[in-house]
Amino acid sequence: MASLSYDEGAHLLRRAGFGGAPEEIDDLSARGREGAVDFLINFNQIDNSAMESLLAASFDFSTQDGISNPEIRRWWFTRMVNTKRQFEEKMTLFWHNHFATSSSKVQDFLMFNQNMLLRQGVLDRFDNMLLKVSQDAAMLVWLDNITNVLGKPNENFGRELQELFTMGIKDVVTDEQNYTEQDVKEVARAFTGWNYRRQSPFAFQLNASQHDNGSKSIYTGTPWAQTGNLSGEDVITIISARPATARYLTWKLFNFFVYPVTTSSADKATIDKFAKVYLNNNHSIKELVRAIFTSDEFFSERAFFSLVKQPVELTVGAIRMLGGTYNQGTTGRGSATLQTLSRNMGQDLFAPPDVAGWDPFLAWVNTASMLERFNFANTFLTNRNTTNPGIFVTNDQLKSITKASSKKTVKRFLSRLGPLNVGGALGTLRTYLETGDNGQPVTYVNDDATVDKKIRGLVHQIMCLPEFQLN
Amino acid sequence: MAINRRQFIKRSAGAVSVSLIMPRFWMGNVAQGQEIAADPNRKIFVVIQLAGGNDGLNTVVPYTDSRYQTLRPTIGFKDTELKDDTGASTILGSTSFGFNPAMGELKSLYDAGKVGVVLGVSYANPNLSHFFATDIWSTANTTGAGNGWLGRYADQKLFGKSGLSAVSIGSSLPKALYADKIVVPNITPAGGADPFVNYAFQTDARNAGDKNNQLNTFKSNNTRTFPTGSFDAALAEAGFGAEEGAAQLRTAVQGYTPGATYPTNNQPSATAVSFASALKMVAEIITTIPDANLLYVQLGGFDHHSQEIGTATDNFHDKTKGQHATLLKALSLGVKTFYDDLTAHGIADNVVMMTWSEFGRRPNENASIGTDHGTTEPIIVIGNAVHGGIYGEQPSLSDLDSAGNMKVKVDFRSVYSTILDKWLGADSQSILGAKYDNVGFLG
Repeated sequence: MASLSYDEGAHLLRRAGFGGAPEEIDDLSARGREGAVDFLINFNQIDNSAMESLLAASFDFSTQDGISNPEIRRWWFTRMVNTKRQFEEKMTLFWHNHFATSSSKVQDFLMFNQNMLLRQGVLDRFDNMLLKVSQDAAMLVWLDNITNVLGKPNENFGRELQELFTMGIKDVVTDEQNYTEQDVKEVARAFTGWNYRRQSPFAFQLNASQHDNGSKSIYTGTPWAQTGNLSGEDVITIISARPATARYLTWKLFNFFVYPVTTSSADKATIDKFAKVYLNNNHSIKELVRAIFTSDEFFSERAFFSLVKQPVELTVGAIRMLGGTYNQGTTGRGSATLQTLSRNMGQDLFAPPDVAGWDPFLAWVNTASMLERFNFANTFLTNRNTTNPGIFVTNDQLKSITKASSKKTVKRFLSRLGPLNVGGALGTLRTYLETGDNGQPVTYVNDDATVDKKIRGLVHQIMCLPEFQLN
Repeated sequence: MAINRRQFIKRSAGAVSVSLIMPRFWMGNVAQGQEIAADPNRKIFVVIQLAGGNDGLNTVVPYTDSRYQTLRPTIGFKDTELKDDTGASTILGSTSFGFNPAMGELKSLYDAGKVGVVLGVSYANPNLSHFFATDIWSTANTTGAGNGWLGRYADQKLFGKSGLSAVSIGSSLPKALYADKIVVPNITPAGGADPFVNYAFQTDARNAGDKNNQLNTFKSNNTRTFPTGSFDAALAEAGFGAEEGAAQLRTAVQGYTPGATYPTNNQPSATAVSFASALKMVAEIITTIPDANLLYVQLGGFDHHSQEIGTATDNFHDKTKGQHATLLKALSLGVKTFYDDLTAHGIADNVVMMTWSEFGRRPNENASIGTDHGTTEPIIVIGNAVHGGIYGEQPSLSDLDSAGNMKVKVDFRSVYSTILDKWLGADSQSILGAKYDNVGFLG
């Protein structure tokens, strides 16, 4: 069994989750590489009752009206900050981004239902996940399949199913075109009549009279050609088995969890290698994810800090790594802080910009969003109100991280928030700790006054480093 | 579904290039503390969103229509009541319409030929949900999906311009400005003397004496050298640019001197002061930043299901007072003061303003001295370039739909296309997805 260093454990927890305190990282590292991944992905075995109690006390979802736009966002942030099952939340975020559906068109309680469906199936066999999402009311509404009927097919779902949810237009490894416009039309026909009941629990139903029972021919002239009275279920089964789907999913998982994938032949070979794990394990997402997280690629130098943190990762990660608090409040007196700040940085949960989800990497980076990131850090570090709903970190918590010397203190916080290797910024941060109001040198002392002033400032500065924006 | 697609970056599988998406920078070359010279070719568009669903029938009153009086026995205005607080008539020339008495300032602009009123604006099968209807108006798409229509305009015409070419003033970025390529900053006005103070690299308010240390540390850390093309390099550059750009904006606007007296001290109302303050921020930006072109402000609170008129002292019957009058006074006074300021700065010819709301309200007043969600509304356009007058058609109050709402006479996208084509020099068809009729108030 491969060992897992502290830095590797921190890397794994930041990627498979949002990062955590040193004790969590030590615990992961002690399990070794395979053991740590096994622990994270078998999250159902982790006791999460404290979070469940918190949710029960802080939210009222007993009525459909209660499942409102601000409340479901507050609910998800509360989960992400407090869960012991970090991978469950992160993988749900992956699927939310993959099957990107937005409350701009879909009612909030249906968005909530979709989120529950995604989290219950995060590591399901892909065919099952895809079928459940496709038959769920949120997707049926989002991509207009409820108006896709015999004689008047709506191609919206049939197109995005192939373009965004499964194969992509071109095979990410071979560059071959995966389907034609004719395939879009034929696939759309297979999904005619898919609808849902307009009463609780808003379950899927096939309106038989609106379903096209004629013969459909898909992927003609390829090894995956099929002709017959294909149903939507048939199409999902056929597409889920195509190597192009395995490669596209692997490519998306790599870009989300490992590193930005290039079009080099080496990277294509890597994608193909992991796609085979999917194909050889009955389309198991769990086995694919396990292979990726335990791989040498995942722990390669190239992977460390190679992704730009999404706003949700930045905010939740900052709180978890530093040991801060998100007081989510209660229904009627809830804190919108995290959802508002994250939205201002460009990531509004339950409302991705379009069906393609959020653009990754440098799409997060512009002058306005950077200002929002910096001011998030300032809000977090300078809020001393520990009773009202909001985000904060206490002086006691900060003081527990300080050391007697300025150099060791800076290093301790850099370790805590990454661990980050920041080169020359280390000296600059140390100088900051040793500079008083008049710009003159002062001697660093880790007393309460210094903590409340300079340590809060120090952590704000660390969170403004380019290195802290990376994951 | 007209979902916006990011074909080039997202969908070419495998293509992930760091250099594809360059962060946008302030390329500040504005002399500090100076207003910019007049440029006859500048075309500035200021959008005023009236959030909550403005009561169009009590904004532009069809006072000659007996059905109006019948449907609104309590809140309706009689012709004799259409007088502003100076006693001047607010009836629009020889037309059958009059502005709400709270809108005396806008009436004076109308008389000067600077105001166009487009009646009966909505779209087929209007949606009466605030949220969904706002999305429809914002995206110019009846599914409410995709980027904003102004965002699409900005992507086409403003991408690559220096500095702040588009700015929203408000609590959050409105959906109308959602874009792919361009990121529109939203500046939340701070109360107090400097409304731009929050658009800044913020530091601990409790330790003001440490601010310079913080800024120095930040600048030092974000001007380090990183490998070319690395994420670190892009992040540092954008981060430093953000801090500097915000600082430069605040420096630039210091060159502004008001050319009109904006309301202060809660007079005539706190709402009027804050709305005028947002327009003053717009004036500060457009008089000091040459590329500033698209500005957006919001005035909220129009959802008057009850007590639309009057106050407790008059048992909610004085039509010149109350919630709606307060908002319309804020609108009218703010716009007129802003217009006067622009005139004093010699750039009134360069600016067109437009109001919009997600829907109008039901003709028949309800039992709570208010009105419920309706359909059509009048859009008001203001500017020296506007051909003043009445456009569109007032929907008949004797021919309402099954819900008692007015029938649509003008598609709102006709108004958008008129502004895009005749003012902003854009191609409305590519932005709106179809060709719409020119309403005729410009060009």
